[in-house]
Amino acid sequence: MNNIDLIFRIAGVGILTAVLHSTLKHAGKEDLAHLATLAGVAIVLIWVIQLLGTLFSEVQSVFKLF
Amino acid sequence: MNIIQIVGFALIAAVLGVVLRREKPELAILVGVAAGAAIFLAMIGKIGVAVEVFDRIATRAGLNFVYLDTVLKIVGIAYIADFGAQMCRDAGEGALAVKVEFAAKVLILVLALPIIVGLLDLLLKLVGQQ
Repeated sequence: MNNIDLIFRIAGVGILTAVLHSTLKHAGKEDLAHLATLAGVAIVLIWVIQLLGTLFSEVQSVFKLF
Repeated sequence: MNIIQIVGFALIAAVLGVVLRREKPELAILVGVAAGAAIFLAMIGKIGVAVEVFDRIATRAGLNFVYLDTVLKIVGIAYIADFGAQMCRDAGEGALAVKVEFAAKVLILVLALPIIVGLLDLLLKLVGQQ
């Protein structure tokens, strides 16, 4: 399964944003915390959409859907 | 690509999803989507082989190709719609999942119309009306 590293990357970014969010919140910078969470979600979304792009193009070629 | 790798991969993704669900539910959903897509990508090669075998059998049997292509399209639409609907349900959007499935049913019905018309023509010919 060559995509296993993608799953670990997503989990890593997720945990990192969670930790960053809580530390920034305790440091008193509430808005910065939300921005950090948004950035983490955006990065993960880009990776997942790239994977879905390859998936849908593969399905189109196999099932002759286009 | 045996089943053990697939199950191991799915378990890891499930555990990571649960770890993320408490802090960041949106990222947990994305882990689910990524894992589902990755597992299917691993299987796409085998499905392609099966489709080629069906094509070869159809050409040898002299079947009309339009029907086989339509059936293939219907299977593809059904799979993608199910993938999307399950992801929506995982995210807690039951209503959205039902809408996706409804759209898939309409698309499949539209695709199946030529086959139905062909079948009816055949029946009429058999009965000898036409």
